[in-house]
Amino acid sequence: MNLFNRMIKNMGREVGLLVTLFLLVAVFAIIDPIYLSPANLLDIVDQSTINGLLAIGITFVIITGGIDLSIGSIMAIVIVSVGWFLTKSGMNPVLAIILGIMLGALIGAFNGLLVTKFKLQPFIATLATMSIFRGVAYIITKGWPVLNIPQNFRNMMDGDLVGDFPISIPILLAFAVISHVILKKTRTGTFIFSIGGNEEATRLSGINVDFTKVVTYALCGVGAALAGMVMLARLGTGEPAAGQSYELYAIAAAAIGGTSLAGGKGSIIGTLLGALILSALKTGLVVVGVDSFWQYIATGAIIAVAAYFEVVQSKISGFGKRLLGKI
Amino acid sequence: MRTGILKTFVMLMCVVVFATACGGTSESGNAGNNKPESADPANAVEFNPDEADGVEFKQLREQYGAVPKPAKPIILGAVSKAFENEYWRTLKEGMELGVEEMAKGGIDLSIDVKAAQGEGDEQGQLSVVKDMINKRYSALLLSPISDGNLTPGVEDAKKLDIPVINVNDGLIATAPYFVGPKAIENGELAAEWIAEKLNHEGDIAIVIGMPKAFAARQRTAGFENWIAKNAPDVKIVEKQNADWDRSKARDLAETWIKKHPDLKAIFANNDTMALGVVEAVKASGKDILVVGVDGIGEAYESIKKGELSATIDSFPKYKGQIAVEAALRVLGGQEMPRVIWTPQALIDSSNVNTPAEEIIGWEKAVFE
Repeated sequence: MNLFNRMIKNMGREVGLLVTLFLLVAVFAIIDPIYLSPANLLDIVDQSTINGLLAIGITFVIITGGIDLSIGSIMAIVIVSVGWFLTKSGMNPVLAIILGIMLGALIGAFNGLLVTKFKLQPFIATLATMSIFRGVAYIITKGWPVLNIPQNFRNMMDGDLVGDFPISIPILLAFAVISHVILKKTRTGTFIFSIGGNEEATRLSGINVDFTKVVTYALCGVGAALAGMVMLARLGTGEPAAGQSYELYAIAAAAIGGTSLAGGKGSIIGTLLGALILSALKTGLVVVGVDSFWQYIATGAIIAVAAYFEVVQSKISGFGKRLLGKI
Repeated sequence: MRTGILKTFVMLMCVVVFATACGGTSESGNAGNNKPESADPANAVEFNPDEADGVEFKQLREQYGAVPKPAKPIILGAVSKAFENEYWRTLKEGMELGVEEMAKGGIDLSIDVKAAQGEGDEQGQLSVVKDMINKRYSALLLSPISDGNLTPGVEDAKKLDIPVINVNDGLIATAPYFVGPKAIENGELAAEWIAEKLNHEGDIAIVIGMPKAFAARQRTAGFENWIAKNAPDVKIVEKQNADWDRSKARDLAETWIKKHPDLKAIFANNDTMALGVVEAVKASGKDILVVGVDGIGEAYESIKKGELSATIDSFPKYKGQIAVEAALRVLGGQEMPRVIWTPQALIDSSNVNTPAEEIIGWEKAVFE
């Protein structure tokens, strides 16, 4: 009883998201039973991995009250760079993946420096780097895609683990677990929430706010790098144009997941569920065959409805407590 | 407290009703696939080069003969959409090649090919055009980002008697000349090839580009209309847009392949999306034909590897040369038709190694 009470109180948002997800799946399954086939359910998870990785990364930044609009462009730089490591230099894929992650962290940290040392507003700073990083990706490739990505790398980031189960799903889960631990179990995590809650007070209490912020942008870059490498493996070609407007879906997943754009609130589980809901919705609309123009409206409606949950959630949890109190 | 619960319940109902309503829409949408409802985009634009008064490039040369030799030095100004895209880079190469060949033949001619900063930079593209007008270039070859963004520039050019040739889409309704392929024929060629390979029966699907793009609308319409008219047993079971994005196209195809185990072919509005679809088809292990449009280098490679089935190439390298030739004809005083249709051809494993010159029967321009 007590556990249930605590779950409602602490995990109200996540429970609400799970209910939404199940409802969504149920509705689509009623319209077209094929939606419920294991192959399709696997596709839903599979198609949420790229957005999920981006969304987890950006969750760190959003919790501090920041934003990163440049993640799609970071993806592009990592995609073409890792593509080159593999094809032009014939690098060992494991080494290429490690370098790719480091590159993502480095580019992300650059965003962090603009925000902290140069005191640029996160929206403006990353709006600028969104354009700059995209330009870099075009300049270094002269606009040409990197072709013929070796199969061993493709198997490592997007191959089938068992049967049709793609390895990209455990990659997403691993990143999610690590991120969850960082946020919930480490001092850095506590600082991140604290900055989002009240940056000035956090600074006054002697915490190195700037450093913590740079770390969040670097983690965001890591998410973008992982997303980029999964995409590179999935498509077998690295395009400098890849990932355009992907930041919007990542922000949407985090927002649906209950990460407050005002900062101070958010969770990795929520973001993960947010990405799953978006993917379940997208796949559902495709399976059911909804005209793509209506899909824009459906996606927006889900974001709005999910945000509204935020408003009513506190009331539900209050109700749950009272209900349990009576029993 | 009561109201909170009530509100939540209402919201949930909304989600359910909304999703169900969407399901309803789709059914009527699918049923409508048999009708060529997509033919109406033609009415949506005031100028449609596919249906305007035009002439095929080869006929143009037959009718108008040699190109008039210009009396004074000529500087052409070309403004392209965006060099991020291989297609526009190749068109640029074609224009420069055309000028180079003519210059070798003793014509005093040069060209300046510029582009906007990405396909979203409508204002920037206009300022490039205005700059060329201020510098009094001899003629302008324009590929606008949207159907309207270069209109003010075209008006200025008219006042100064600078001829304007609209190359490929977007469309400038007020430009006197248009040089480009019949976009609708892109789709027709693809439809014909797929229908033949499938013996005129089977389930197929279409991946659409950015719905606002003229090329996407016309390619899809050409494809659907041809199928509806000539292969009634070929059923278009799915069509969705993937915004020219490779990853989105792959995801769409992945879902469709699961939903329609008998899917036989997928037509994508361009090669980039077709190559994404190829990845989904490869992963499924099924035998599904994939056809794209544009003829980019990667598509040729993929056809050689036996992965992509076919692409419709509209030969931007030669289109660029044709545009330069058209400019010289206009400057030489020839009264040409409104539209010049440039060559295109379907490329599959049977002709992927044939040189383009041979496929389209290319010959260099002849001067008076």
